Amino acid sequence: MTMRNPIRISPNRPQQSSPNGLKRIVLRASDTIEMYAQPKPLRTVNNPKASYLVIAHSERGSLSDHALQTIAAAAILADAETNVLALILGALTDDLANFGADQVIVISELDFEHFQPELELASISALIDSIQPTRIFMPDNHTGDGDLGRRLIARQKTKTAATQVIEMNVDHVATYQAGGTLIAQTTLPEIILLAANAVDTHLPFIALAQRSKQAITNLAIANSYQDLDMQTIAATEIALEEADFIVSAGNGVENVASLESLAHALQASIGASRVAVDDGKFSRDKQIGASGKTVSASAYLAIGISGAVQHLQGIKDCRHVIAINTDTSAPIVKRADLSVIGDAEEIMRALINLIAEAKSANLKVAA
Amino acid sequence: MNIKHITVLVSTGRHPTSGVPRHCRNDSLALTIGVDLSQTKAADLEVLHAGNANNPALKDYLALGADQINVIPTEPDSDIVDSFAERLGDADLILTGSRAENGQDSGLLPYLLAEKLNIPIIANALELKQEGDKLEVLQFFPKGKRRRVAVTLPAIIAIHPLAAIELRYAYVRQQQGKIIALTKPAHVAAESHLQWNIAPKLRKPIKLKAPENLTGHERLLAAITSENKGGTVVNDGNCVEKAQVILSYLREHQLIAF
Ligand SMILES: Cc1cc2nc3c(=O)[nH]c(=O)nc-3n(C[C@H](O)[C@H](O)[C@H](O)COP(=O)(O)OP(=O)(O)OC[C@H]3O[C@@H](n4cnc5c(N)ncnc54)[C@H](O)[C@@H]3O)c2cc1C
Ligand SMILES: Nc1ncnc2c1ncn2[C@@H]1O[C@H](COP(=O)(O)O)[C@@H](O)[C@H]1O
Repeated sequence: MTMRNPIRISPNRPQQSSPNGLKRIVLRASDTIEMYAQPKPLRTVNNPKASYLVIAHSERGSLSDHALQTIAAAAILADAETNVLALILGALTDDLANFGADQVIVISELDFEHFQPELELASISALIDSIQPTRIFMPDNHTGDGDLGRRLIARQKTKTAATQVIEMNVDHVATYQAGGTLIAQTTLPEIILLAANAVDTHLPFIALAQRSKQAITNLAIANSYQDLDMQTIAATEIALEEADFIVSAGNGVENVASLESLAHALQASIGASRVAVDDGKFSRDKQIGASGKTVSASAYLAIGISGAVQHLQGIKDCRHVIAINTDTSAPIVKRADLSVIGDAEEIMRALINLIAEAKSANLKVAA
Repeated sequence: MNIKHITVLVSTGRHPTSGVPRHCRNDSLALTIGVDLSQTKAADLEVLHAGNANNPALKDYLALGADQINVIPTEPDSDIVDSFAERLGDADLILTGSRAENGQDSGLLPYLLAEKLNIPIIANALELKQEGDKLEVLQFFPKGKRRRVAVTLPAIIAIHPLAAIELRYAYVRQQQGKIIALTKPAHVAAESHLQWNIAPKLRKPIKLKAPENLTGHERLLAAITSENKGGTVVNDGNCVEKAQVILSYLREHQLIAF
């Protein structure tokens, strides 16, 4: 009779000590310890039978989150035999490996600030003719891609297309219709203009992101458009809904002058909570929230604002929320990406000084 | 060149909750620009709709400044691009909204029409003015950016919803204006490629996520870590140090350039 091997727990099994001195066995320790260091597997397409083409404009050398989501979408939908090719119009310094682009082609002359739709359309059409992608993905934005994408759809009449795609997977796309009251679904079309935030850019793999440059070929294209100039409205005059950086005041702000000079130093627009508006510190058009304005700034600095639901509703689309508040348990702290606990006035003053120092140091470097 | 013929394309909308037919605000902006321009340039103005002449929403456009609305009768399988193209042969300036509220709302119509007529299209227009033989257009870009471009006419200009134009509603005009159903019906569309399956919006869209082969332990870890959602909280230090934390955060995320 043979004895079965007894199951033994190794006494040397990986373990950690908890703060109160108890030993804790670490499950799958080898994995967890290396979790951060472990590189993601590389996705490579050895014998590409098809390709997905992503087209997007860059801005100041990088891609918007929306554009990155579009690349990730193509990478997620691509099967093992489909190449993902990103065609970037405008200069590019970012690495696109983490977003799943196998190949990256950059045409740096086709900057989004310059209006040259005929040249752009001719350039992308030439590439489309040569690589014959099975699908084309573009971010449906207001910074050039939504416009170029529609021109492409109108030009390539035989291709099926969908715009403002809010949902997508391997077998369907969906968009809103009739002013957002209906949802319409169809099979994956050949040209997809993707709405923002329809894709999670986290990928379990990386791609090669092989770079190549391409020069514009057909410069002789007739241009019916004349590009005059691009202007930027001063932060103080810009409508809050459009503002990219907002410094916002609540009941915890005593000194409006400090807030204004902080906003000025950061070249930010000024917003306020309802209480601050009701107090007469700010005009009604500055109110942010359910009964005020809905904003979508990249940076929202909430100073002395508790973060009532009605206020949070107005800032749900803000990317980076930073709170200054005396109360660690204020609801804004849960919403904020960074919360600094302390007195609003003191921290505002300190910030204004630091910014002034940083700016003058920059000037010296430049001089 | 002088602008002689202006055409405005108006679609119809519905109130999102009550479902009552109403004008599409964005198209009304285009209409108001068209009315003003036709008066200053002494040009004639045609207001055109493809759909049902009895739609009560069209009356809103009369009140908002159209003397007469011409309606191209359509069937569900009509191709309105071809029908518009046929009628718009001699228009110098065609004004549209950016996105309709009644059908696919794809914002494609102005582009398809421009391609068909082989004329330029400028979208997201906030202001128009004539400069010599060109039309100068101020275009909307997010984050306070504006671009000026010039274009030779004829051209299609799609007006952006944020154009700073005040709508003028006059009940008298609504009573005096006329809605005329044109006799020539819309073209029948060539077979469309995509079959859309339309349903009321009852759920939120589902985000596209990469499938991941995670072990139970990894899924557990992911579930635990996504629990503590709030960001960093800084309690310690004096106010200068705290201000420094904010400044570093802004720098790290490239929200400031100094
Ligand atoms: C129907 C309805 C609609 C509403 N619509 C809106 C809306 O559109 N927008 C809106 O904002 N509100 C709206 N409200 C009001 C909302 O519920 C809150 O009352 C309001 O947002 C609170 O404003 P607050 O955070 O500035 O003030 P408070 O709630 O008084 O909070 C002040 C915060 O400042 C902090 N603080 C105090 N002193 C200091 C200091 N020295 N330094 C730093 N921090 C300090 C406190 O800890 C507190 O968190 C609405 C309410 C209702 C019922
Ligand atoms: N049935 C229609 N009749 C007249 N104009 C229309 C019609 N549908 C769309 N348009 C115009 O085209 C613009 C864009 O519409 P769409 O491409 O359908 O989102 C609208 O703002 C209108 O100006």
